[in-house]
Amino acid sequence: MKPLRIAVVVGSIRQDSYSRRFAQALARLAPDDVKFDFIRIDDLPHYNQDHDGHDAPETQRLKRAIEAADGVLFVTPEYSRSIPGVLKNALDLGARPYGQSRWAGKPAAAVGVSPGAMAGSMAVQHLRNVLAAMDMRTLAGPEMYIHWQDGLVDAEGRVGEGSRAFAQRFMDTFIDWVRRFA
Amino acid sequence: MSTLNIAVVVGSIRKDSYNRQFAEALARQFPAGVTATFIRIDDLPLYCQDDDANPPAPAVARLRQEIKAADGVLFVTPEYNRSMPGVLKNAIDHASRPWGQSVWAGKPAGVVGVSVGAAGTAMAQQHLRNVLSYLAMPQLGQPEMFIQWKDGLVEGGRIGAASQAFVQKFVDAFVGWVRRQAG
Repeated sequence: MKPLRIAVVVGSIRQDSYSRRFAQALARLAPDDVKFDFIRIDDLPHYNQDHDGHDAPETQRLKRAIEAADGVLFVTPEYSRSIPGVLKNALDLGARPYGQSRWAGKPAAAVGVSPGAMAGSMAVQHLRNVLAAMDMRTLAGPEMYIHWQDGLVDAEGRVGEGSRAFAQRFMDTFIDWVRRFA
Repeated sequence: MSTLNIAVVVGSIRKDSYNRQFAEALARQFPAGVTATFIRIDDLPLYCQDDDANPPAPAVARLRQEIKAADGVLFVTPEYNRSMPGVLKNAIDHASRPWGQSVWAGKPAGVVGVSVGAAGTAMAQQHLRNVLSYLAMPQLGQPEMFIQWKDGLVEGGRIGAASQAFVQKFVDAFVGWVRRQAG
C-alpha cells in the first residue's frame, strides 16, 4: 500500500500540552507506512487579508505542509468553549487567498482533549463547522472527546492500556478513511 | 447619568475592513456621555498558557487593562470559514486568562457583524455568542445585526441615511443594556 502522510495540527502551543501528548501517543498506533508531520502554528502571523498573495515564510511553510499531507488530524483543547485562537488563525491562513485553500478536499479528523469532563466536545463542535466550511472530508465517528486523566498516556508516551483499544479503533478508522481519498 | 465607556473590538485587522468602517460609523451614533475605545488586537502575541506564569507582554497588559476599564463591550466581527477570525479569538483568549482572572467576566456585550454575503456573519456570531456566554458576559439578544455590506452603508464615515434609524435602534438598545448592567 502507498505510504501515507498525515499532518497533525495540535491546537495548543504550550510546552506540556495534553493535546500534543495525546496526539503523539495516537500517532504511535498507526502502521509503519504512515508518517506524521506535526505542523508548527506558534510562529505564524495573524491572518490579514491585506497580505493575501504575499505570504510570510512561516505561512508558506504551513501551506507546503498541508499540501504534502494525504490527511489532517486535528487535536484541540477547548478555550472558552471553542477552539483556541492560535488554531483558528492557522486554519484562516491555510484557507486563503479565496479559491486557493490548501485545506479543501482533504480528509480530516477532529479530536478534543481536556482535563475537564466536557472533554473538549464544544471545541470539536465548532471545529467541525469550520472544517465543513473549508470543504474538508471530516470523519464522523468514532467521536473523540478525550477527558485527560493520569494514565491516559503512560510514561513511555503510549496510550495507556485502559484506553488503547478505543484509541486503536479510532486510528484504524481514520487511516482507512484517509486511504479512501489518497 | 454617568458616562459610559464602550470597548469596541473589531474582528478584522485589514486596513479597509468593512467591520471597522461600520463600527466607527456606528460609534458616532452613541449618545452624549458614551465613548468608544477601539481595542487593538493585531499586535498581540499568539496566546500560550506558558506565558501566564510570567508578567504579560505590554500589548497583552494593555488589552486586559482596556477591557477592565470598559463598562461594556461591542464585538464587530467578520466571518472567516463560518466562525470568528482567529485573531479575534486570540484576543479573547488573552483577556480570559490567567485562569480565574478573566477581565471579560460580568461585562455586558453586544455582537454585530458585517459581511459581503447575505448571511451577514450569522455563523460567526453564533460561535462568538457561545464563547461570550461561557465568559459570563450578559449579551444583548435583539436587535440582531447581520449586516450585508453594500455601497452607501457607510458614507463619509457615517452610517448612510437609509440605515441610520436601524442602526440607532441597535445603539439605543445596546447602550440601555450596558446601563442596566452597570446598575
